[in-house]
Amino acid sequence: MPAEVKQEQSPSNQTSLAMMQEPQDVVEETVTIEEDPGTPTSHVSVVTSDDGTTRRTETKDMSTNLKVTKMVKTVTTRTVRQVPLGPDGLPLPEGSSPLGSYTDSIDRRYLKNGERYITTPQATSTLTRSYNNYNDSYSDTPPPDASGSQYGGRHYGLHDGYGIGDVTENYGSLSRGVNYRPPRYPYAMANSYRPENSYVTLPIRKDDYGHMAQPQVPMGSSTVDLNRSQPERFQPEPYGLEDDRRSLGPDEEEPYDLEPDYSTASRRQGTLPGTNRGRTLREPLRDGPRVRGYEDPMEAELIDERHPYIQGMYAAPLAQPERGSMASLDRLAGRRSPSIDSIRKDPRWRDPDLQEVIAMLGHPIDPVKSNAAAYLQHLCYENDKIKKDVRQLKGIPVLTGLLDHPKAEVHRKACGALRNISYGKDHDNKVAIKNCDGIPALIRLLRKTNDMEVRELITGTLWNLSSYEPLKMVIINHGLQTMTNEVIIPHSGWEHEPNEDSKPRDAEWTTVFKNTSGCLRNVSSDGAEARRRLRECEGLVDALLHALQSAVGKKDMDNKSVENCVCIMRNLSYHVHKEIPGAEKFTDPSALQAPGSAGTQRKKKEDAGCFGGKKAKGRKNGENDKNYDTLDLPKRTEPTKGFELLYQPEVVRLYLSLLTESQNYNTLEAAAGALQNLSAGQWTWSNYIRATVRKEKGLPILVELLRSDSDKVVRAVAIALRNLSIDRRNKDLIGSYAMRDLVSNLPSGQQRPAKNLEEDTVVAILNTIHEIVTDSSENARSLIQAQAIEKLVAINKTSQSSRENKAASHVLQTVWSYKDLRNALTKDGWNKSHFQPATTSVPKAAKNGKPGYDDTTLPLMEKNQGQSGLAGETGDHPGLAYCGELNGYSTIDQRDKDCKYQSGGDGSVDLAEREPLKNDTHRKHYIRSNRPAVSLVDAYDVKPQPVDSWV
Amino acid sequence: MSFIPGQPVTAVVQRIEIRKLRQGEHLILGFSIGGGIDQDPGQNPFSEDKADKGIYVTRVTPGGPAEVAGLMMGDKVMQVNGWDMTMVTHDQARKRLTKKNEEVVRLLVTRKSLEQAVRHSMM
Repeated sequence: MPAEVKQEQSPSNQTSLAMMQEPQDVVEETVTIEEDPGTPTSHVSVVTSDDGTTRRTETKDMSTNLKVTKMVKTVTTRTVRQVPLGPDGLPLPEGSSPLGSYTDSIDRRYLKNGERYITTPQATSTLTRSYNNYNDSYSDTPPPDASGSQYGGRHYGLHDGYGIGDVTENYGSLSRGVNYRPPRYPYAMANSYRPENSYVTLPIRKDDYGHMAQPQVPMGSSTVDLNRSQPERFQPEPYGLEDDRRSLGPDEEEPYDLEPDYSTASRRQGTLPGTNRGRTLREPLRDGPRVRGYEDPMEAELIDERHPYIQGMYAAPLAQPERGSMASLDRLAGRRSPSIDSIRKDPRWRDPDLQEVIAMLGHPIDPVKSNAAAYLQHLCYENDKIKKDVRQLKGIPVLTGLLDHPKAEVHRKACGALRNISYGKDHDNKVAIKNCDGIPALIRLLRKTNDMEVRELITGTLWNLSSYEPLKMVIINHGLQTMTNEVIIPHSGWEHEPNEDSKPRDAEWTTVFKNTSGCLRNVSSDGAEARRRLRECEGLVDALLHALQSAVGKKDMDNKSVENCVCIMRNLSYHVHKEIPGAEKFTDPSALQAPGSAGTQRKKKEDAGCFGGKKAKGRKNGENDKNYDTLDLPKRTEPTKGFELLYQPEVVRLYLSLLTESQNYNTLEAAAGALQNLSAGQWTWSNYIRATVRKEKGLPILVELLRSDSDKVVRAVAIALRNLSIDRRNKDLIGSYAMRDLVSNLPSGQQRPAKNLEEDTVVAILNTIHEIVTDSSENARSLIQAQAIEKLVAINKTSQSSRENKAASHVLQTVWSYKDLRNALTKDGWNKSHFQPATTSVPKAAKNGKPGYDDTTLPLMEKNQGQSGLAGETGDHPGLAYCGELNGYSTIDQRDKDCKYQSGGDGSVDLAEREPLKNDTHRKHYIRSNRPAVSLVDAYDVKPQPVDSWV
Repeated sequence: MSFIPGQPVTAVVQRIEIRKLRQGEHLILGFSIGGGIDQDPGQNPFSEDKADKGIYVTRVTPGGPAEVAGLMMGDKVMQVNGWDMTMVTHDQARKRLTKKNEEVVRLLVTRKSLEQAVRHSMM
């Protein structure tokens, strides 16, 4: 998935590194671990013989599970593994499959150990023994059967998480060890989860959970590994001697008081592991990030337990292990080091499979939980398959359950895992989070925590979730006010009641703010109701505006947070004239008439109603300039607040500043879109906005942007100009000064790629031109002078796009309708036929002379720009929404790459915007060199961004 | 003209007083400026430090008031009538120069040759 970042992997690498160091010291054996590149889940089982030769068998196939009733010390490795029996000798349930994979690993370790350490207590452990035996026959050259079955089982277990047959057996072995442990440990969690997964996390007790053994297995395996690595040292341990399984269990109990808490596996690991752990951890890392995560928890626990025990004996090794969970985390964050490979080779280590990891989420020991979650995050990174597997293994409800965990480490890691899981195109994952009430849980945690990292993760997750339409309203319902109060307002610097003594604060572009604004940006595109909710969310609009003003003030306008804020503002401005409570009061009656006709536009102002009649001199012709220029805005006694701020003329300056200063195409587009939205419609405020844009000298700024390299910016600006030209004075100015730039964006005959704009953009420009020339023969004359006729005729005749044909045709018809221009046109060699719809493109449009001739008043392309076909209206541009998703470590930048536009509200959204920007290198030259002295503004001397000014 | 932000700038400056010429309803100075904090300083051909966002004289009309007063192409405008021009936008500078109610503008400019001349004399 695009969103996912490589970073996650890197963390694992780091982990591996850390592990590597330790392991080397500890590891006696040299194992080469093979990883299956193709299948992440598959585990390679490495068998190392005492001599140090390692074998790898990757098992994917777990075809047959051998069920051994008991584990005999002498049992061949295969049988041992296969034996599903618990330590007691009871056959383990198949459900324990995950264990199988573990067992495999264990076996391997044992084998190694066994060979080497046969004498050692560890070796004595049943597992070991069996393995040992196995090894003997097996070690150097694994028997096909054994390898196949065992390894197959392992892989299987890992992959599916449900190695049924084989796994069971393996489990059995592992579980036995586990089973022997004292019943002390409560594994409520494990139980609860088992049903689904049938994997209990780390259930050490077999007694309690004979079947549950699986979870234990992983632990056991890891522990085993540890033990093995250090088994020799541990000789003192009586456990080793016992059956493998038993030995494990008992060992833990006896030697380590602490152990009881920990799953057997972990305990053991902890104890022995001190030395081993490092290695084991490292190994897992090698295999994959997953392993690390898994191990980490184990280690952490182990370490703790070990301390009393191990410290004395193995101070050195312990040092690293002690880091425990943290260390693992670090590793996750880190990147792989070359040494990893060596680590991987250590046969003793086995990665926990997914089920085991998920089961560990329910482990009673918190560090195990957090490590399991961290490992899950790591596994899920950029791996959609794993995410899906986690979902199917019911891991998501467990993770969301951990959000309410009191310990920061736990809910932090759970958050991280959820963030990765929520990222990607697989919306089922998002839905799964929602279905287990993950969204309110995230919001709860957001309210509760002050930990910046956690807040980043929460908001990142919410951002990811917000990219899926059906969840948007859910997020609004649960989190809008909280996100606003907890993040947007504080980080925007806005204060409800500004303290006069204190300086107004600037916005802080924190990650949390960025994530939250991204989330709100996404949800703001969910239609009218979403917009209403956001507008009415107390403090939201105020804070966003404050943040944007702060950005303008600091000239820091290119960042993602600003982009998000502008996009929200733009979305909230959409249809503002229809959706604001009381909007009717401001609506011009004339607007109800044909919006397309230019004449009506003028009238709008009359309606101003409460604002006094002066403005409303409504001209039918376009001479109202005076009115507009002297436009008096309504006086307010109370400061504007809330959504009213959206359409106050004051925002015009803000958007124009953004349009002038920002280098971010998305921001530019959104700012232009906001002006487009605000200047659409027939209500009083849009009149003010249109006039204010002119008075603030915004027209030259917009025209300048017609030369932008960004297709979507050009389009948004073109539509904005169209809406602005509803104002007669604007229309005259735009006609005089923007025509050349508009025309230059049109494809010219064959050489289309003057700029290679998309069809939508070309159509938008054509519609804008049409609007400008409608009811203005002066502007039509400008159009002719801009050499547009040739282009229009070419488009009309040759364009492959019927929409372009149609749009060009409308313009041409309009031009031809000005009889006083026909002379000039004829002189240039044009005749009526050129201004008729091309026969090809418009089949029905009469081939005969006049079809469509008088159609100037017809709506422009209805389909174009949503429904804004009519001349005056356009505008409503749906909000843009990025699906920003965070992946574990991925940064937001990724999103940008993947960003898609989502349709904004009402379905009138233009989806066309997904297309990548097209850069035209020619453009810049053009812009700088050819820049006309634009004076769209009333003041003649206005120059937007002069490079060179005569004085 | 490189400088360290926040540190005082030492520059050899020349005072130039230009009397505007009336052309129709406009008052002209007869030179053009480039630069400003809102412009891309990298494109300024006259600055030594390409991060310098100051206002520079880009062209001087032959025989115009500016040339008569001694303004030269490439001069960096430090002040206009006492107003700082080293940290202004292009438009602000332009406006400061084109006040309609001011017949005369007094510039403080610096140029390489001035610095070199001073350095030379001091050595």
